[in-house]
Amino acid sequence: MADSIEDPFAVETELLGLKPLPGQEANLRAAYAVLREALALVGADYPFEAEPAHVFAPAPGAERRR
Amino acid sequence: MIASDPCFLSVAEAAALIAAKRLSPVELVQAYLARIERLDSTLHAYVRVLHDEALTAARAAEAEIAAGRHRGPLHGIPIGLKDIYDTAGVATEGGSKLCLGRVPSTDATTARLLKQAGAILLGKLTTWEFAIGGTAFDTPFPPARNPWNPERDPAGSSSGSGAAVAAGLCAMAMGSDTGGSIRWPAAWCGLAGLKPTYGRVSRAGIMPLSFSLDHAGPLTWTVEDAAIVLRAIAGHDPRDPASADRPVPGYRASLTSTDLKGVRLGIARAMFERDCPTSGPMGKAFDTAVEVLRGLDAAITEIELPPLALYNATASLITRSEGFAIHEKTLRERPQDYGALARDRLTIGAYIRASDMVQAMRRRLMLVEATEAAMAGFDAILLPTCPDAAPPLGELGPYFDNRRPMYMRPFNLTGQPALSLCNGFDDSGLPLSLQIVGRHFDEATVLRIGHAYERATPWRKRRPPL
Repeated sequence: MADSIEDPFAVETELLGLKPLPGQEANLRAAYAVLREALALVGADYPFEAEPAHVFAPAPGAERRR
Repeated sequence: MIASDPCFLSVAEAAALIAAKRLSPVELVQAYLARIERLDSTLHAYVRVLHDEALTAARAAEAEIAAGRHRGPLHGIPIGLKDIYDTAGVATEGGSKLCLGRVPSTDATTARLLKQAGAILLGKLTTWEFAIGGTAFDTPFPPARNPWNPERDPAGSSSGSGAAVAAGLCAMAMGSDTGGSIRWPAAWCGLAGLKPTYGRVSRAGIMPLSFSLDHAGPLTWTVEDAAIVLRAIAGHDPRDPASADRPVPGYRASLTSTDLKGVRLGIARAMFERDCPTSGPMGKAFDTAVEVLRGLDAAITEIELPPLALYNATASLITRSEGFAIHEKTLRERPQDYGALARDRLTIGAYIRASDMVQAMRRRLMLVEATEAAMAGFDAILLPTCPDAAPPLGELGPYFDNRRPMYMRPFNLTGQPALSLCNGFDDSGLPLSLQIVGRHFDEATVLRIGHAYERATPWRKRRPPL
């Protein structure tokens, strides 16, 4: 059971306070499995100094306001 | 058929006739309204047709033009807006029960700009619920159908926009693109669909799905039409914090050259042969397109990009996180009012931790930098838009994004301009697609390549058999 996704899914669902509607839980479990794959691909082992993307361009005048 | 039916004129063709006073905006609107009346009970491209308002606006346009006050190429052109674009005094419901009866008091910036340019709003177009819900049968509006075969999916989330333009139910339509939602329906409906550079076109007044990935742009019959529309809607908007303050060139002027001499194109072959192989017809059409572009004197070699799955996983985490943040309150309070697909696709964002989101944004920057580095020496990337032509309606799986990824999401993540255009048809008559991806804020080159390709091929001569 330790390697199953069912336990962490159930635990996280409860911790998050989510109450799946009837029939929704199976869909969320399937989506959760896909999500875990995405998390593994993206990974968490980054250089200490690795910056995240900053996508928003500064608004005009933002420099002056600082 | 195309020459005699005003609903099959491109924006550029109709604009020239209107400017010369050889085509009346009122007659044009009447022709579209009649065609909508005849076909939309099958295609479901519209959620709301503004019959009287469109005719009133057409009469006003006609009077203005007659008085010598011609505003430009969109004056008197009938258009549609995806029903996530706010329209003052006209319901904007996002395809959701949660927003039924929602009437904004102001226009989205793009809706306002199109109105100022003289475009005439025919109506609001079908959308996947909140631009994420998929082809659903449990939401207030029926899903749009593909005009090339109404049993097929038109794709989404700008499903009505794709169906309406392809079927000749409006001259052009606006869509939104968070993971491909302009380019995908453009691909499956045989259109030009342009996702401009992130920041190029305002998203103010458009229902958000994922703040850092959402883009607004046009779906049109031709690339030239996309250039006309982009000129009208691009530019800085203080209402959109991501809006870029950059000069807007005259895009149509970049379409004058008939060849592609000096243009360097990189084929992202690994994405569509190794990472997610295309169907046979899509691959064959792509190879033929490459030969056409070589014949136009483009210099074409191969470009190596990071794996498609890495782009898609990163974009998926960001979309789900941002989407859940937007919808958390209503997901908790009124989950039963969402369609099942939107509810599931948004709720899964709850399971992404804050640190996961930060790692995704760190990965995002690495992918942006890797893509830019790969593009050194290239003006644009070439690849298909999708692996396949349109499947039967309702056959898209609930979590298809990681299982059979499309080739569009990488460029939402990087924010580069990307154009989908028609690349022929398969044996059953369904459109195939080609995607051209440019450098940031260089839509002009993307449009130039697309226009040259369109002029060198016969694909714009065929319309859906309706």
